[in-house]
Amino acid sequence: MRTGIFICHCGHNIKHTVDVKRLCEYFSTFPGVVVSKDYPFVCSEPGQDMIQESIKKQGLDRVIIASCTPSLHSELFKDLLKKSDINPFLLRRVSIREHCSWVGDDIEINTEKARRLILAGLYSAAHYIPLEEKVVEVQKSALVIGGGVSGLSAALFLSRMGMQVYLIEKEDELGGHVRTLKNVWPAGRDGKIIIEEMIKDLKGQNNVEIFTSTTITDFEGFFGNYEATLNTPAGEKKLTAGGVIIAIGFSPFDARTKPELHYGEDERIITTLDFEKNGDRLKLPEKPRVAILHCVGSRDEQIGKPYCSRICCVNALRVADAIKTRYRDAYVESFYMDVRAHPRGGEEFFEDTQEKGVLFTRANVAEIIPAPGGITIRGEDTLFGEVFEREFDLVVLSIGMSPPEDSKLIASLLKITLDKDKFFLEAHIKLRPFDTAVKGIFIAGSCSGPKDVEESINHGRASAVKLFGFLNLGYAYVDPFISYVDPKRCSGCRMCEQACVAKAIKYDEIKRVVHVEEAACMGCGLCNATCPSSAIGLKGYMDSMIDDEISAFLEAI
Amino acid sequence: MAEDEKNKNPEIVGFACSYCTFKASEMAGSLRMKYPEGVKLIQVPCSSRVDPAFVIKAIVEGADGVFVAGCHPGDCHFIKGNYYTRRKIAALKEMFNIFSMKEKLRLFWVSAAEARRFVEKVTDMYNDIKEKKNEG
Ligand SMILES: Cc1cc2nc3c(=O)[nH]c(=O)nc-3n(C[C@H](O)[C@H](O)[C@H](O)COP(=O)(O)OP(=O)(O)OC[C@H]3O[C@@H](n4cnc5c(N)ncnc54)[C@H](O)[C@@H]3O)c2cc1C
Ligand code: SF4
Ligand code: SF4
Ligand code: SF4
Repeated sequence: MRTGIFICHCGHNIKHTVDVKRLCEYFSTFPGVVVSKDYPFVCSEPGQDMIQESIKKQGLDRVIIASCTPSLHSELFKDLLKKSDINPFLLRRVSIREHCSWVGDDIEINTEKARRLILAGLYSAAHYIPLEEKVVEVQKSALVIGGGVSGLSAALFLSRMGMQVYLIEKEDELGGHVRTLKNVWPAGRDGKIIIEEMIKDLKGQNNVEIFTSTTITDFEGFFGNYEATLNTPAGEKKLTAGGVIIAIGFSPFDARTKPELHYGEDERIITTLDFEKNGDRLKLPEKPRVAILHCVGSRDEQIGKPYCSRICCVNALRVADAIKTRYRDAYVESFYMDVRAHPRGGEEFFEDTQEKGVLFTRANVAEIIPAPGGITIRGEDTLFGEVFEREFDLVVLSIGMSPPEDSKLIASLLKITLDKDKFFLEAHIKLRPFDTAVKGIFIAGSCSGPKDVEESINHGRASAVKLFGFLNLGYAYVDPFISYVDPKRCSGCRMCEQACVAKAIKYDEIKRVVHVEEAACMGCGLCNATCPSSAIGLKGYMDSMIDDEISAFLEAI
Repeated sequence: MAEDEKNKNPEIVGFACSYCTFKASEMAGSLRMKYPEGVKLIQVPCSSRVDPAFVIKAIVEGADGVFVAGCHPGDCHFIKGNYYTRRKIAALKEMFNIFSMKEKLRLFWVSAAEARRFVEKVTDMYNDIKEKKNEG
């Protein structure tokens, strides 16, 4: 056996807390290990070249890559092996980042853990055999969940590229939050018009089916052939789609979560969303005193929302601007932590607003106290370090973007992951910002974290482009990790047949042994664990491999 | 590592299902959540792949604890695999009980989204075993 071990630094991510050099030296002394190298980024092009060259030069027949977790970059490394003319299933990934360097801080302890993890990979890989990839047909269709701007833009792109699109929307009409916005920044246009244009384009396509007032109740299958069950007004419907785009948007922060704001108890305390809907109809005195609070439901560790919502500073400025435009003599005071006027043109808008006479006070607001004569705001001016109390006629809370109501539900149905703030987690924040860890399932728009309209549309389109690339191939490789039976060992007890949920095991009455129907086998390995005669093995997860991993962890080899 | 310290710190082998618990562990790592280094995972496609023989082998070879972790009941990617796991591990637990080592085996359900739960479960198990170990 000729094994190559490649240990990644991942910049500082691994190297910082794992002594990669020491590990390389250690493994270089192992019999059969002919290459043992460390490299700053094994996934980079020079890194890939280095591995490819080693495979060719040294005639490797096992490749161990100790780096990030196997759900990342495995396709890339498998391709690398294919390009080097060795079977892609002779690759072993060892996660020394997500399962080691990021888990502990002590370099000695981590290095020892990484050593044993790599050892387990090395011993396990010794039992690997070349496997043939299974090819499956990919349906040229996509399921888009959520009909806000991000879902609409994804659906539009995919349908224009000739993919069949199923768009499902929970509410009775498409459009999401943008439909409710009267003056979308920075375009200055009515959100409803933006939405209607997108819907018109989409309805002009003949390969789009739209389901409103519909939710998804069940989800199964794998890339190329996902099966979704929908609950539609016309009853239950099942459909098959090659891939999925999740675009279920956000929930506006519920200001009632913070009782000290007294939101919902007094009609003079409103949110930016209320202002968006009813701003024109507000009854205010001639010279209104208006307070605007930034970061309501954002950047607040106490309520578990430490992130910046990115749109609320501009929303706060828009309210200030609208009031000042309508009432020249209004007293408008904005209470902020920092002003982060993110979107394009935001900073200039901030300056304009200041010039119009809006007062900006850096403050921690402690409490809002409604009284018949006015609403008092009590807080601390954090620049002057002084406590203040001021009275207003109207208080506008610039609310942030919270994760979508259904994020947990969709995550558990589609078996994808949420981040710590309960938005959907991308497979890699920089390299795969549109993908989830599940092949063919993408995320788009504000369901993966606060985004404005422009960003949401771009995100939707980018996810659609990526999914299109996958679908358009028309086929996909799936892991050939299925079970097989050794007829010499099989006693014909048929215990495996009873256990197999997929009914993939067939008994041969004449030979009195069983065999596995490859196309039906799901690869769970239950039969492997059930067979009393050790006659069934699950490729890729053979007893011998797992046995040796156990021994390597415990240093019992 | 010094020999005495090694003896004090438990070694725990965990079998983690690719579709849920392993994913949760990946997320725990990405979120830089900390848990003891004694916890090491073997990835299996489904918790039902875990042969009781693996568990016994790990104990025989010196593991202080073994856990099997998969998707919540009803959520198995392979439809019913985890029901089989539940039955198998329950039977195995009875055996462990006879040998007064009930605490060495745990079964838990952690979905792909539950990184925090993953960390809590493994840390709890580690701490309980460590306490026992240092007593005895
Ligand atoms: C007060 C306020 C003012 C704003 N002003 C601006 C602005 O001026 N300019 C700007 O650029 N941005 C603004 N934004 C941000 C803007 O609203 C978002 O960028 C945009 O709505 C994101 O689009 P989306 O498609 O990702 O999500 P959403 O608009 O939330 O759409 C998601 C859609 O998915 C549907 N859905 C949810 N769950 C399910 C499910 N389980 N099944 C099926 N469908 C589901 C929802 O019903 C909804 O239709 C503002 C936000 C707020 C709160
Ligand atoms: S955009 Fe502004 S108001 Fe919104 S969370 Fe960020 S800093 Fe606070
Ligand atoms: S359980 Fe094993 S011995 Fe029994 S029929 Fe299946 S393969 Fe043959
Ligand atoms: S691996 Fe699972 S699906 Fe395949 S034959 Fe065995 S029990 Fe059936």
